Amino acid sequence: MDFPKYDINKYDSKRMVAIPAALFGIALVIVIITFAMTGMPVTPGIDFAGGTAVTIHTDDTKEEIIAFYDGYNLKAIDEGIGSGGYYLKFGPMSNEEMMKFNAYTLAEYPDASIDQIGANFGATLQSQAMWAIFIAFIGMAVVVFIAFRKIIPAVTVVCAGIADITITAAVMNIVGIELSLATTAALLMLIGYSVDSNILLTTKVLKRQGTLEEKLSGAFRTGIIMTTTTLGAIVAMFIVAFIGQVPTLYNIAAVLIIGLITDIIFTWVFNAGILRLYFAKMEEKPQYTPKQPKKNIKGAKQ
Amino acid sequence: MSAPKKEKKVYTGWAAVIRDPRVILVLVLVALSLAAIFVPFGDREGATNLQFGLDLEGGSWIQLEFQSEVVTIGQGADVNAVAESMGKTLDCTVVPIDETKVEVQKSATEGELRAAVEAAGAKFVGYEPGVGTETADSVKRILESKLNSLGTSDVKINTLTNINGVSQYVRVEMAGVDMQTAQELVGTQGLFELRIVTTGNETAHVLYGDSVVSVQTPSQNPAGSDNWGVGFGINNEGAAALQQACIYYGATTNPSAHELVMYLDGNLVYSAPLSSDLAASISKNPVNSLYAGTGSGDAGKAQAQELEIHLRAGALPVEVEIAGSGSTSAVLGDYFKVICVIAGIAALAAVALLVYLRYRTPQIVLPMIGTNVAEIIILLGIAVFIQQLDIAAIAALIAVLGTGIDQLVIITDEVIHEGRVPSQALYLKRLKRALVIIMTSAATVIIAMIPLIVMDLSTLKGFAIISILGVLIGVVITRPAYGRIVMEILGK
Repeated sequence: MDFPKYDINKYDSKRMVAIPAALFGIALVIVIITFAMTGMPVTPGIDFAGGTAVTIHTDDTKEEIIAFYDGYNLKAIDEGIGSGGYYLKFGPMSNEEMMKFNAYTLAEYPDASIDQIGANFGATLQSQAMWAIFIAFIGMAVVVFIAFRKIIPAVTVVCAGIADITITAAVMNIVGIELSLATTAALLMLIGYSVDSNILLTTKVLKRQGTLEEKLSGAFRTGIIMTTTTLGAIVAMFIVAFIGQVPTLYNIAAVLIIGLITDIIFTWVFNAGILRLYFAKMEEKPQYTPKQPKKNIKGAKQ
Repeated sequence: MSAPKKEKKVYTGWAAVIRDPRVILVLVLVALSLAAIFVPFGDREGATNLQFGLDLEGGSWIQLEFQSEVVTIGQGADVNAVAESMGKTLDCTVVPIDETKVEVQKSATEGELRAAVEAAGAKFVGYEPGVGTETADSVKRILESKLNSLGTSDVKINTLTNINGVSQYVRVEMAGVDMQTAQELVGTQGLFELRIVTTGNETAHVLYGDSVVSVQTPSQNPAGSDNWGVGFGINNEGAAALQQACIYYGATTNPSAHELVMYLDGNLVYSAPLSSDLAASISKNPVNSLYAGTGSGDAGKAQAQELEIHLRAGALPVEVEIAGSGSTSAVLGDYFKVICVIAGIAALAAVALLVYLRYRTPQIVLPMIGTNVAEIIILLGIAVFIQQLDIAAIAALIAVLGTGIDQLVIITDEVIHEGRVPSQALYLKRLKRALVIIMTSAATVIIAMIPLIVMDLSTLKGFAIISILGVLIGVVITRPAYGRIVMEILGK
């Protein structure tokens, strides 16, 4: 297959670190602004803010549906491609309004799927979700530190993870994907993913023999195919789910796609740049000798 | 792996692969999983034994919020006395939970609660919305009896309890029930009252739902007559109250002028005069077993089923409000299932294409895809027993498919250097290193997913469990087998 023409050893290390770092800075600003306005890092959907969502499959046109819900607080309407699937969002309703709404909807669209979350319950879910993300980060950091036991590489991997989630959150805000229970799960999944390729890179570079250039290229070759296979599976899921209008599925897929692309940048540009700087620094210190492998196991040669 | 003993024949290639314990383990597990998925056992609805979530199966869920507060008071106070005093101040039921906690069975503000605690001479420490475990359990039981009487295939009721033992929500999931029915069944408080007509439109209280001790399923009386009704039992106090009322208001002598009337939450649900038999017997003795006839034919039967639920209802000990709800019709659920299957197949095809483009060697690509499919089958096999699959879980499954291949790529690249497989010693060393990378990333995924299981964001449990299981199956079972296969196949 055609590999991206990216030579991991060619570019200036400092620039490799600076560009993703700048991206992270911009993303952080977006996320902080969103947080200040909504109380969550990504604009919350009905799961957290409360409200009503309806999924229907019908021959009716978008205009007919909008006309049908005239008088109800219809906030947004998404449409699948050629499948007659619609995803509608409404503002919060009281219990009585909800009962009336259900009856009205089901009379016209008996096969509709209706989800409703009260504002209170949404707030509970919101605090649980924030805790889940926080605990997942702490847990990830602990695992990474145990695995490497070296401050700089471990901090880099953790930072790459944080940056990955932050940038993904910022992009979600930009492209209009709301934070729901499903997309929260996808973000948590990304914590795991982002560490995956970073661990591969860092382990290969720190624990192997050979020149840095060789190790970086080797790790890149493996790492990029790894991420592209995952990306392939998830893009396939996204396309099918989007055409078929299964919102939970395509929202999760979309978040994972954004995150994996960010992950590629942070692993193979940012983390690789840091590792090169780290090694350059180590070589400057005369007293430092890179840890030699104790003894080559017979026949072992790289 | 230990070297084969000398007297044993040393196998190579596929012959060795088939005899490797790790490969055998995978094959056995795949066979068992296929059996678990497809061999019919118990009563099942679909073509497989897989359990599906409401969003794929069709059905409704409702989450109810208890309108109640758990208040923590300072140590040393007599909790029973405090509860009693608070009950008077707040004009509601207050029950002690333990030495320092009381349950206030209505929603109240912090100010009201603080004042009530201080009026009772205790120190106000804090409060949180919800009920104690005992109340939560009894709500669960009441809802269960209410819903199971419906005869729906599948009702799940879970109270969501936090680490302090306080439950704020109860979640009810009903397969095959539409939202309106579900809300009517669950959302109502269900305060049942039996009254008697005194004069004209006036009625008098006889008994509440707490006197109803047993309710039978709708039956025909006499049997086979197609005249439907519900038999129910009342306790001695209720029976005494009923006898007294019937005699006092004259229902025993003139039943048709003094009908018995049943109300649920103030709504009339049933009314009928005493039968002549009952009027005669009740004038002499209290009667504990009653039968409420609802008429003949399908209408009578449907009404009897409705009445049965009303009679069973009793009242929940605390008020509830609908905090959230959702429904998927069976038709939409089936459609989602089809899309999920297509998405899964498309993902597998995409992965197969990408690894083929990368390696272009069938000896690598086929074991890779085979291992991946084996992993998914084992995962589904385990899921039959422990986890229902909802849409989020399917997304996790497809993600596992992608990450599974990832790790096979790590192993492949680690062991093959420029298309050749090194000596066995070096191979094993490299395989071990590859597994270390995989283990670390697996540990991270597991750690990141655990909060979702513990925190009970109920709809995400499936996603988390499938992700963790996928990672574990990969690390423990399928990756080592794949490593072995690659070595033997390419080592020739």
